[in-house]
Amino acid sequence: MMKTKTVSLAIGALLASTAIAAAADCEDIRIGAAISLTGKYATNGVHTQNGYEFAIKKIAENGGVKMGDKCYNFKVTYYDDESKGDRAATLAERLINQDKVQYMLGPYSSGMTKAIAPVTEKYKIPMIEAEGASRSLFNKGYKYLFAVLSTSEQYLASAVALAEEKAKEAGKTAADVKVAIAVENDPFSLDIRAGVMEDSKKAGMKVVIDEKLPRDLSDMTAILTKVKLLKPDLLVVSGHSKGAATAVRQIGEQKIAAPMIAMTHCEAADVTGNFGASANDILCSTQWAETLTYEDPIFGTAANYETEFKAAYPEYAKKKVPYQTAQASAAIYVYKDAFERAGSLDKEKVRDAIAATDMKTFYGGIKFSDAGNNIAKPMVLRQIQDGKYNVVAPSAFASHKVNYPRKPGS
Amino acid sequence: MSMQKTGFYGVLLAIIVAAPFLFPDFSTQLATLWLFIIVAMTWDMTGGQMGYNSLGNIFFYGTGMYVAAVIAIALVYDVGEYTGAAGGGRYDFTNQQYITGFLLGTLGAGVFCAVSAFILGYVLFGLRGPYFAIGTLGMAIAAGELVSNWDWVGGGQGITLPVYAGDFDQTKLFIYFAFAIVGVILFIFLKWLYSTRFGAAINAVRDDEEKAEAMGLQTLKYKLVTWSLSAFFIGMVGGISAFQLISFEPLESAYQTINLGIFMVVCVLLGGKGTLWGPIVGAIMFQIFKEVTWNYFLGWQWVALGALIVVTVVYFQDGLMGWLMHKKPEWFGVRVESKDDTVAEPAE
Repeated sequence: MMKTKTVSLAIGALLASTAIAAAADCEDIRIGAAISLTGKYATNGVHTQNGYEFAIKKIAENGGVKMGDKCYNFKVTYYDDESKGDRAATLAERLINQDKVQYMLGPYSSGMTKAIAPVTEKYKIPMIEAEGASRSLFNKGYKYLFAVLSTSEQYLASAVALAEEKAKEAGKTAADVKVAIAVENDPFSLDIRAGVMEDSKKAGMKVVIDEKLPRDLSDMTAILTKVKLLKPDLLVVSGHSKGAATAVRQIGEQKIAAPMIAMTHCEAADVTGNFGASANDILCSTQWAETLTYEDPIFGTAANYETEFKAAYPEYAKKKVPYQTAQASAAIYVYKDAFERAGSLDKEKVRDAIAATDMKTFYGGIKFSDAGNNIAKPMVLRQIQDGKYNVVAPSAFASHKVNYPRKPGS
Repeated sequence: MSMQKTGFYGVLLAIIVAAPFLFPDFSTQLATLWLFIIVAMTWDMTGGQMGYNSLGNIFFYGTGMYVAAVIAIALVYDVGEYTGAAGGGRYDFTNQQYITGFLLGTLGAGVFCAVSAFILGYVLFGLRGPYFAIGTLGMAIAAGELVSNWDWVGGGQGITLPVYAGDFDQTKLFIYFAFAIVGVILFIFLKWLYSTRFGAAINAVRDDEEKAEAMGLQTLKYKLVTWSLSAFFIGMVGGISAFQLISFEPLESAYQTINLGIFMVVCVLLGGKGTLWGPIVGAIMFQIFKEVTWNYFLGWQWVALGALIVVTVVYFQDGLMGWLMHKKPEWFGVRVESKDDTVAEPAE
């Protein structure tokens, strides 16, 4: 009885597998990833994992990774790093030593990437990461680390430039612009702060508030009260999804009337869906937008990526597909391209092929500098206008004019 | 020492030395196991032997990390410049600088932590029972927040240490043996310490502090010395951890109150408070339990850990060693008269 059951199950499985595309006959290429499935980065960790898995499925449907007359599918071994750096580093070692993976995908956040990078570097394991933007990752001379995203100092550079432009339109100078900065005390957000500080100093603006928020970002009323008193022209907030959610909620509650508010992680926190009108006219930096005119043969256009991703993951149907997901998919795509160009599973050859990457994707251009960061793709700035994310800067990509000053809750 | 005992310790030492060569892929986990053993043994010095349950010993671990890293960097570079350059500049150590930094840093971390335990002890040993536990916990949490806002040591960015330029497998062996040496020294030291008058004195503090004082023991002195000694060893392993992790930050790696800070207590409870072997056995059990649940019950690992703590606290309050001592006292050299004798006597 037991035996017949197993046999019929096996036959069933066999039939099912032949029904899937021809890519099912391909062999596996195993990649390792430690990712935050629990802890404070869990939301974005899941966005990242979904991005990886979606791309893997999409590539398999398109015939897999072709090398000579053989074909391969990606298979990722995941572990949960619990949003803790020391755990992430240990897991990276486990993936390399015990699971014997030869290639790695990045974790979520700069902090985790910082913890893992020394390990992959020492074992000479190539790692393509999509979620670690901190500049400090790219000045250590790492040879095996590649990032498809733009580095953190570029995130809000357009917002500072926009503030200067608006001041000049009003007949004032940059020196009249008052900037308020409130960032989470974590590696990524501190990097955002460093970028904004540098840019505003260069332009001669005054930084009137420069506050660091605790890790458990559930309240920033004290800082917002200060904002009400000092009336800055530009308020900058950064603190991953939780930071964005807290900021938008309390900006609405406290009726903060700063003429320009810029932040990161709006889409990942789904601020329009969660807080509605409070999010109006807020500027959000993004690595990628589905309205941009990027395109590639596997995923189609950026808009097509969003449609297909939503079909595959219905839980995203009512919100924006966050750029964290798109860039995770792009990382997988770079691997496919690199393996095919390398024509080998040898990790050194794959590394060299990754380093030589120069491709156009639905996510934007991808070309790595010697330090490993992507230099072929700009950041864009979107503004939430009547619940929609519209690109307003840089001007080459802008589809809408920026609303200035911001009208809260209109 | 009897032949049997010498043989036992000989085999144990051989296993310790051979382990990383026999299981090279597991050397990081083995090093972590040593870390757990050491922090559990040091926690038991005050928690088990002296009756002062500290929830803030992680303070010495985190402080040890920072002190070691700062010393290692300061020997070669300007610390503020080094940590401030999170966005630019490159810093490397030569092998010589790495080794010197490691040795001086780790030792310095131990000394610094011992001194701070002595000073903090003056304030905190005024508290007893749960108040001492909460007081020490508060100290650890406050320290984490302070360090995360102190830019000179990198603030929330933490510190990324330069790596050893040589072979990576060598570095891992080096780290393993650094932990192992501290662990073995600690074990020998505690085995001796618990057999002296000092050991008896801290046990007296645990059993009845007023009585001990009335007998003429200067309890505060004993408490301060014990905590300083334990802080010295935790500080050292904190320092070694800094070099093992390479990149660490204040709240989740250094002053990780809810992780290692609690795990060390759980290890001791599992193995048995107030015994020499309890913390060691507990740490090994805990590490195995953790590795298994974290790999095979992903998503349920914290629930499993919580269940383990509840079961231990409710049913095995004396831990494994305490339970064994109760069931098999003869294994521990306690002679128990047979039941028949005791029952027979009153009949006469």
